[in-house]
Amino acid sequence: MTPAIRLTLFLLAALMCLPAIAAIALHMPAFGAHALPYGDAIDAAAPGERHVSNMVSAINFDYRGFDTLGEEFMLLGAVTGTVVLLRGSRGEALGARPGIIAGRPLLPHSDAVVLICRLSAPLLMAFAVYVAVHAMTTPGGGFQGGAIAASALVLLFLGEGYPGWRAVVRSPVFVALEGGGSALYGLCGFAGMALGLPYLANFLPLGTYKDVWSGGLMLVENAGVTFAVGGGFTLIFLEFLEETRVKKDPDERDVRAEDIHPETADIYGILRRAPRDGGADA
Amino acid sequence: MSLVIAILLLLVAAAGTGVVFTRTPRRQVLAIAVNGFALALLFMALQAPDVAFAEIAAGGVAVPLLFLTVLASMKMDRSPRPGSEE
Repeated sequence: MTPAIRLTLFLLAALMCLPAIAAIALHMPAFGAHALPYGDAIDAAAPGERHVSNMVSAINFDYRGFDTLGEEFMLLGAVTGTVVLLRGSRGEALGARPGIIAGRPLLPHSDAVVLICRLSAPLLMAFAVYVAVHAMTTPGGGFQGGAIAASALVLLFLGEGYPGWRAVVRSPVFVALEGGGSALYGLCGFAGMALGLPYLANFLPLGTYKDVWSGGLMLVENAGVTFAVGGGFTLIFLEFLEETRVKKDPDERDVRAEDIHPETADIYGILRRAPRDGGADA
Repeated sequence: MSLVIAILLLLVAAAGTGVVFTRTPRRQVLAIAVNGFALALLFMALQAPDVAFAEIAAGGVAVPLLFLTVLASMKMDRSPRPGSEE
């Protein structure tokens, strides 16, 4: 199919669709005007019924809490699938060298990048905690907080390089966070059933409106989502970044700090200062 | 519709068009990140900060990072095929 035929086909199709598109565009409600009563109903009801001022959290964790449970397990399934697919192809050892792309030099990180990353990673992590903890009062919540926390950890990779990132980000911790967070969300719903209430019913005291610790069971669910999203995102980053290191033969012992070429060790000073026995964690 | 929203809508349209017309994969990844940040600004202007946070973290950080990693991994020491270009 030549470009000319393709263009003709596209123009024909566009011409046929044009009346329908124009009809819809002309009958759309004005920008910002919506005919959806549910948002207004939640805005009116949630402060009194659930004592929270962030309606998005009220919908996610309470009114539609069961939907979020489904999303939680969707995330769990996606992360598990990614980890199962990617883990093992390059071994699970720590401290392996970062790979080199032919024709592209492995330059040392500039001091400015290292400084900016070291300054901003803790600040970003603190912001993530703030966003996650204040889910019931201000915009944000567990998903956003967890994703920002994972982004803060990525700054470690940017600033310290692959060995520094691997030294800090250990997959068992994040496996536990991902699985434990999902389990916390799924299981906390059963606690209400023991009291004779429906699954995921909000049975905890709701607290004071506009207080950080308002919302009752929503706080527990929010914590579960925070751990699951933060752990899940970081696990996926870890498994993907592991694909960029030097491949290790199955029968080769793990790379130790003293095996690393002096120039590479100079670039990643962190390895020389804190030599790590990589084989022990394999 | 205020002027800010009009400008941001145009910015999103321009960034999205940029993604389509970028042909090099590595540049396209950066174009996707720019588009993500433009979308986040638009969501913020439309008073949806929850979505804006998620868009910055997912569209501005996670997706570009994963794509860049895959591109780097593909160029790395995969078993070299005879006659390959690089």
